[in-house]
Amino acid sequence: MADSAATRPAATSGRAAPAAPEAVVQLIVFRLGDEDYGIRIEQVKEVTITPEVVRMPKTPPFIKGITNLRGDIIAVVDLEERFQLRPAGRPVPEFSYTLAVEAPDYTLGLIVREVPRPITIPVSAIEPAPEFVQDTGQRDKYLEGIAKLPDGQGVIIVLDMPKLLTPSEIMRLPGQSAATAGRSAAKAEASDAPSKAH
Amino acid sequence: MTAREQEYRELFMAEALEYYDAMSRHLSELERNPQDVGALNELFRLMHNLKANARAMGFVDMGEVAHKMETLFGQIRGNERTFTGSLVTLTFRAVDILGNMIRAVGAGQDSADAKPLLENLEQLIQGQEVVEATEAPTEEEADADAARKLELSDLVYIPVKKLDNLLNLVGELVIDRDRILTLAAELGHPALQATARHLFRISDDLQYSVMDVRLVGAGVLLNKFPRVVRDVATAEGKQVELVLAGQDVQIDRNVLQLITDALLHIVRNAVSHGLETPEARQAAGKRATGRLIISALTERDDVLIQVQDDGRGIDTEAVRKKAVRKGMITTEAAAALDEQEVWALLFEPGFSMADKITDISGRGVGLDVVKLAIDSLGGRLRVNSELGKGTTFTLVLPTSIAVKGALLIELDERAYAVPLLHTDTVLALPNDQVFAVGGLLMTHIQEENVPLVPLRQLLYSEGDELLPRATRSDLPTDGSLLQVLVVSYNNRRLGLIIDRFLRQQNIVVKSLSKPLDTIDLFGGVTLLGSGQLCLVLDVPALTRLFLAKRP
Amino acid sequence: MNKRILIVDDSFYMRTMLKNMLTDAGYDVVGEAANGQQALEMAVATTPDLITLDVILPDNTGLDVLKGIRQQQPDAKVVMCSAVGQETIVNEAIENGALAYIVKPFSEERVLEIVGSALQGDGSPV
Repeated sequence: MADSAATRPAATSGRAAPAAPEAVVQLIVFRLGDEDYGIRIEQVKEVTITPEVVRMPKTPPFIKGITNLRGDIIAVVDLEERFQLRPAGRPVPEFSYTLAVEAPDYTLGLIVREVPRPITIPVSAIEPAPEFVQDTGQRDKYLEGIAKLPDGQGVIIVLDMPKLLTPSEIMRLPGQSAATAGRSAAKAEASDAPSKAH
Repeated sequence: MTAREQEYRELFMAEALEYYDAMSRHLSELERNPQDVGALNELFRLMHNLKANARAMGFVDMGEVAHKMETLFGQIRGNERTFTGSLVTLTFRAVDILGNMIRAVGAGQDSADAKPLLENLEQLIQGQEVVEATEAPTEEEADADAARKLELSDLVYIPVKKLDNLLNLVGELVIDRDRILTLAAELGHPALQATARHLFRISDDLQYSVMDVRLVGAGVLLNKFPRVVRDVATAEGKQVELVLAGQDVQIDRNVLQLITDALLHIVRNAVSHGLETPEARQAAGKRATGRLIISALTERDDVLIQVQDDGRGIDTEAVRKKAVRKGMITTEAAAALDEQEVWALLFEPGFSMADKITDISGRGVGLDVVKLAIDSLGGRLRVNSELGKGTTFTLVLPTSIAVKGALLIELDERAYAVPLLHTDTVLALPNDQVFAVGGLLMTHIQEENVPLVPLRQLLYSEGDELLPRATRSDLPTDGSLLQVLVVSYNNRRLGLIIDRFLRQQNIVVKSLSKPLDTIDLFGGVTLLGSGQLCLVLDVPALTRLFLAKRP
Repeated sequence: MNKRILIVDDSFYMRTMLKNMLTDAGYDVVGEAANGQQALEMAVATTPDLITLDVILPDNTGLDVLKGIRQQQPDAKVVMCSAVGQETIVNEAIENGALAYIVKPFSEERVLEIVGSALQGDGSPV
């Protein structure tokens, strides 16, 4: 898999930077479903081969579980599943990479199937996501914009991590409202069948 | 008085008072039954020990009284005489006087003249009856004795387990304290806030005090290394000068225990891979004898344990190449790593499956074990190295940690830990001891009906649904026993049906970080020795869940 | 090189004193046993270079322990410890293979001298 990443054309995009000084942004790019996604590099703590993940009961299915990342116990999320981007029938890869992304007070692991790669693009290349995209699915709530690569090398969907990384958003099941996400995912037992409790 | 003399004195006192209590007890037993050989043997042994200890402390009179008493009990044991007549009265009196002498030592006073007693005892030993001994003690003496007999030793021995329990309770107190503090702030009630702040300070002091009790000198562990280093050096044909420092640095006994293997590994590694052979050292212009320093020092709230060698150092480029070759990292990514990041690779599991013969100047066999141990404690590992000059490994350790006793169980091939605080019993039930009532399986334990529920159902039941109604037809039909862990919370017992029991183990519980910290079914997570993650079940939450979902 | 020593004594005070003396002199005290049962178990578990054995112990006499240890490990080096007054037992212990006898209360020099020569010896009494 490392090879397939290395041959991807976008890997050389650093050369595309114009001579005049212009604000650039570095992204870590990875694949979800059949699209390329990017996260600003300063939000990524590290990239590693996914260590053993322990499934955690009482969590939504896209929370793959917890893992020990250099002594930090972090939750690992499958964004393909979270955003419902995995084509039906495609199996979860056995061997994958984990991007450790930093929220203000915790670290979260994002599972990706192929080795992520860094690219540098001018800030101006990122266009705010167009209206019609924002209506199509819940993923689009967390978009910062779409980056067009030069020379027709395709587009990268840039995720707005701070928006995605609030605990209630991360735990939210697709199609659920944020207000109930934390409760029904995590505290189901507390609110269930109160008449029988105690 | 030196610290050591002070320690000896305290130990002597504690033990002497213990002996005194036991002597009094056995003497009464012997009076009731003069044929009680057990009591006689114990009296003999206690006198013998008191004699030896008193003499070592320089308490001549006490040693002499104990010596004569030992002789007397030896005579009784040898059937040279019986425990009757004036002997009985005099031995009781002598034990009382020994008690006074011991207490006088504790109070730093001189004890009364023992000469009359010693003369009387000598007469008894010579086979003469003693008349004076029947003389009753004066009223004053009797009063003084009565008052003193209630004194206890100033020194107590506490099993580490009890201290662990204490620290766990303090941990729970601190959690509640923080909650109260937050609530007080939210409510904005000034008196409540003041009280909460006071509670904060007191519980802080309490936590500190409890932790303080568990501290020992790092020397307890460091002093074991001269032998280790010598053995490895001999086996590897190395010459090593070992320097130990900081044996007095205070650290939690449990922390020391948990890092013992890791430190052993690092030290062995330093001798066998870090230090060069005498010939190689000389060729490099170094002293033939390598130098290894193992030291403990305090840095703010942490304790650092350093293993420093003046060997060949880590060949960073070799490590970088090897990590790529092992497929741990791509060539591009490897090239981007700085020195520290490369060294960190040494402690990754993939790296340590190194070829048996270390082809890099260095280290690599099983160092991931070290990382695991330190991780499980919430500590950190630092590496510093200079090629040709040497390497320093620094373990940054918390001064103190809370260790919980837990039972490890298995469900669906996963280990879970249940804190012993909430476990009641472990059962293997045959079918005929299980009955069904109102959709619940039950069993009878000590006159109480205890509901049984598969842990699997509790963990994986969805949303609002109640648990399925259980009948006896759910029970295994192949004659296998039902493995049940009975947990208890608030005097309510619940039998969890599990796959099997693994073992009892002390664990260090780490709390779950966001966003999973809201899942109250788990009290946290612990790292098992294998590096495997193990969820810690929260029995109160499990019990509440069961009550809410029972059919 | 550090020789490894097992201390058997029912008095915590005595054990501590002995341990401090030996540790300060560079020996490794690999275990402390407070009774005969523990002594036999720890002698097997720790395979010490030398055992210091108190003659009077709570569960059996030091003599029984000595015999037990010698049965498990005929080469075990054992030094008896006792306060004066138990010379008969000590003599019997020497007959049963104990190498030497330390009299309590012991001086540091005496302990180190006896332990040192017992460890150097070829197994015959010193």
